[in-house]
Amino acid sequence: MGVLSGVNQKRLFRTILANSRGRLHRMAYAWTHDSSLADDLVQQTCFQALRKQKHLRDIDAADAWLFRILANCLCDHRRARREVLCEETPVSIDARTPEREAHDDQVALRVRKAVNALPLAHRQVVTLVDLEGFTYAEVAGILGIPVGTVMSRLSRGRRALRERLLEANLNDGTDSVSKVRKIR
Amino acid sequence: MSKDNMYSEEQIGAFTDGELEPEEESQILAESERCPELDAQLCQSRKLKELVQHAYREIPQVRPRETRGLRRKGLLSLAAAALVLLAVGLAAGWLVSQSYQSHAGQATMTAHTSPVGQENWLLHVSSPDPATMQRALDRARKLMADPAAHVEVVANEGGVNMLRSDTTPFAKEIRELSEQDVLFFACSRAIQRLEEQGVHVKLVPEANTHYSALDRVVLRMQQGWTYEKI
Repeated sequence: MGVLSGVNQKRLFRTILANSRGRLHRMAYAWTHDSSLADDLVQQTCFQALRKQKHLRDIDAADAWLFRILANCLCDHRRARREVLCEETPVSIDARTPEREAHDDQVALRVRKAVNALPLAHRQVVTLVDLEGFTYAEVAGILGIPVGTVMSRLSRGRRALRERLLEANLNDGTDSVSKVRKIR
Repeated sequence: MSKDNMYSEEQIGAFTDGELEPEEESQILAESERCPELDAQLCQSRKLKELVQHAYREIPQVRPRETRGLRRKGLLSLAAAALVLLAVGLAAGWLVSQSYQSHAGQATMTAHTSPVGQENWLLHVSSPDPATMQRALDRARKLMADPAAHVEVVANEGGVNMLRSDTTPFAKEIRELSEQDVLFFACSRAIQRLEEQGVHVKLVPEANTHYSALDRVVLRMQQGWTYEKI
């Protein structure tokens, strides 16, 4: 693929960016569980992407490139707030009214809480693989870590989720098990 | 390594993610036929992945973009012209009302699309420094020397002071540029932050607001406008 230099290439990139916005927001939300912050991160990502588009040499790699910018934007945001990866600040999942909560999918809320309880490094790997279907090599490129680290973080993240969501259900009665069965 | 079989958690995860070589995948499938424990682990791994996908299928939506008080002399003139034509149309009948619809359509186009082949500029001011604001206004004036140019000035952070009636030293220049169809936008979130600090914000009449300056910038850049940070 050629360098994004021509007018058509720029238009194509802008189309890709516009079409990616919802997916970027979903990922930013899965990382932060704060829709307002997710919105800010996506805006920042789009802004950076539009300014740096001439650096994107392969249009086929645009997807992973955008998610890499998103990861960097989150990193910058946390650095600005002096947050360190190993010192997780628990974030409450979006403030909701009781009425809204009652209408929400309880299974989804329970899974989101479990994902939110993971360290960010694990949360990012799990969601990039499970929500976007990125390969381990792509995730390594997006986060700037070795593939082996992707695999070990994924494994530890999933173990924690399994313990919270599946194994706990088997031991603590039928209520949540029946809720899970509703979506099968 | 899993307790009762020869496959590690990482291998089971890689199987679920389609990351294994076909040979290794076949081995795991064959083994799962013989080993119910492994079979259950594969099912559980798949289920966990689906639960995560399900959890984020519907998420809180992005706030709607809000642009308030869109003002431009040219647009107001067009709108006024359209109203006059409407009155004439009501009096004179169907033929003239057709003309009104045509003009009204033109006004909408001007407001919401960026004309192809013309120079469109978005100038971004975030500094409270009056010298920076002056540079932005000078730049806008220079760009408007080209009759085909469209210029928007977006202010956030300290740059919002440029559009506040109680702080701006540039009210006259903003009015003049607005009459040349330069659009001015203040960031609603910057205004909100000031008001949370107890500052009552009143904007000059020519200022519009957009819920986020960056959103306005991205919107215009996606439409092909040229971005310039002052």
